[in-house]
Amino acid sequence: MLLQQIVTGLSVGGIYALLATGYSLIYSLLDFSNWAHGEVAMIGAYCAFIVVGTLQLPFGLAIVGGIVGAAVISYLNERVAYRRIRHNRSPNMFLMIAAMGLSTVYQNAAGLIFGSKFVTYPGIQVSSVQLGSVYVGVLDLISLICTAIILVILVYLINKTRFGLNVRAIASNSYTANLLGIKVDQCIALVFLLAGALAGAAGVMLGLKYNVYPTMGNIGLKAFIASVIGGLGSVPGAIVGAVLLGLIETFASGYINSGLRDLISFTLLIVLLLVRPTGLFGVDVQDKA
Amino acid sequence: MSKKRILSLVLAMAMTVSLFAGCGGSSSSSAAAEGDSSAAADGSSTAAASGETIKIGYVSDLTGTSRLWGTAGRDGALLAVEDVNAAGGVLDGQMIELIASDGKGEPADSVNAYRSMVENDGIVASIGTNFSNCNIAMAPVAEQLQVPIIGTATSNSLVTMDEEGNLRPYSFRMCFLDSFQGTALGLKAAQLGFKKGAMIRTIDDTYSMEVGQYIMDTFVEQGGEIVASETVNVSDTDFRAQLTNIAAANPDVLFIPCTYNNVALIAKQAKEMGINCVYMGTDSWDSAELAELAGGALEGSYYVSRIGFNSPEAKEFGERYQSVYNVDLEAECLFGYSGVMWVVDAIERAGSAEPSAIRDALENTDTFSSLIGTLVQDPATHNPSMDVAVFQCTDGVFNYVETMSANDIQAAIPEVTAEA
Repeated sequence: MLLQQIVTGLSVGGIYALLATGYSLIYSLLDFSNWAHGEVAMIGAYCAFIVVGTLQLPFGLAIVGGIVGAAVISYLNERVAYRRIRHNRSPNMFLMIAAMGLSTVYQNAAGLIFGSKFVTYPGIQVSSVQLGSVYVGVLDLISLICTAIILVILVYLINKTRFGLNVRAIASNSYTANLLGIKVDQCIALVFLLAGALAGAAGVMLGLKYNVYPTMGNIGLKAFIASVIGGLGSVPGAIVGAVLLGLIETFASGYINSGLRDLISFTLLIVLLLVRPTGLFGVDVQDKA
Repeated sequence: MSKKRILSLVLAMAMTVSLFAGCGGSSSSSAAAEGDSSAAADGSSTAAASGETIKIGYVSDLTGTSRLWGTAGRDGALLAVEDVNAAGGVLDGQMIELIASDGKGEPADSVNAYRSMVENDGIVASIGTNFSNCNIAMAPVAEQLQVPIIGTATSNSLVTMDEEGNLRPYSFRMCFLDSFQGTALGLKAAQLGFKKGAMIRTIDDTYSMEVGQYIMDTFVEQGGEIVASETVNVSDTDFRAQLTNIAAANPDVLFIPCTYNNVALIAKQAKEMGINCVYMGTDSWDSAELAELAGGALEGSYYVSRIGFNSPEAKEFGERYQSVYNVDLEAECLFGYSGVMWVVDAIERAGSAEPSAIRDALENTDTFSSLIGTLVQDPATHNPSMDVAVFQCTDGVFNYVETMSANDIQAAIPEVTAEA
């Protein structure tokens, strides 16, 4: 039973991780919480639904459709809204408020276009494999493996490539990076594309497991908390924070009481921030503020 | 005092008196005119065989966002009036007539519509609305005007009882309370031979908690045992932590009285975790999309709900209704039809069309059968026991299986009053 709860916690945490890394990436560059991130995932889920449900194409293409759709929307958010605010030299608060606005717009637009009904990807049947006393859903297994692969690629991109070096340089100090000849706007746009693609993948997996509906992006709040636990701005931190949050939530619902689940996980968050204000893997917040 | 002043005083008094006289005169003449016009209307109507028609009211939303239901109820009631008059009317051949009034689905408008029908049209009873909050607002006015009201799909307990638990004497309903289907489901599970039941309820949804409690109380009283009981939140998407505990208890039946989107996810995840028992639920499962949303996980599951168009009589009526009005079927038309029939039944038993006599007859209805199935009145609460339909999912679609009788379920209502 303990093993089963751990498997559940990992699979819940895996989805949080895909979204949490997107929060962290953007926070590390622009010092603001992109509240529209959850809605980008929701748009990805609907894009996949259009491909597989409306156009009746195979599910593999739906995953691609979801990732591309979400990446494009994420890029447009930056291109249309955030970039102008940055260039105006407005306070970061403006970026956050713009993101909140986008989040509301997308949620309501999805409600208008697709209706508030829950939809599901057609042709997906429930199945699971039994490993000893533990049942693992096939969907969970696939999404856990995909999540792991995607996150490994992401960490590689950030730590081992020239693009990653540029991103880290901008995160450290965008003014200096600019002086050193890094194309800051281009790099930021690429990060939004990347974060959008991650959100799209998360959206499709969320849709597979929990159905597709306009307010499904609200799970972004949990992912944000995960990235705070891990230390805002740190990609590995976001992954660890997400898995930790998934496990804590599962244990709280399974062994204590589901009504107390959020109370417990949020209390732990506050305690953690009191003890370690930078989160588990955080860089010094003073530099960022 | 000058003569002039006396004269003016006398004149003023005379004017005042004449004013009052004028007033009285005009009011009495207008009443007479009204009487004349209504007499004329009666005279000209086709149903003038033996004096005045008996007027039955219908209040609902006829023009607003929920007019789909309101107009269906009205149109169903009109067919009932047609049938009653074609069969020779009520009592000694008196014809009946339906007065429909627009309550817009709002409490204040519904009260006004009802009041106007009582005061201007002289209705003897009123059917509708289909909203609990409208009927709760109408209840005190009904007591004041002493003309009974019969809610249709009004399932809130406050419709017939006030907050202190006192009966609202002029308020009735034609539907069962949510808790009643909990009893029906608990009984059904016991009848199917299940012994070990598990429950998953939504802690922030009163419906789920209350219905769930009745399911468990009834199931235990019928010889079953609750081996696991878990709660979730309505906004949750992952239920595997709770389902792990349920799987460990190895139940024969899992009760899921939650909203349909939660049911879909719970069923999916329960199947994934190897909980291969039968799943059961209540009318919150009543959604055409549920079976598909659950991705095959609900195969073999049961739920209980209203009979709808599943009885032969209701099915036949549905075809007639569609041929007359050429619109999609809404269950509200069954309520409209049955409501008129219940009032007619009460008038016949009372031998009078006096509103207070109708009220007494409605309250003392032993059993009444119509398109909505059999209704067994509880005079103390005005919360009837009713027939309940059982549905089962086969090949990805929920199908009607059978009807559980109102009397059987009534007998199974648990002794212990369930905590909400």
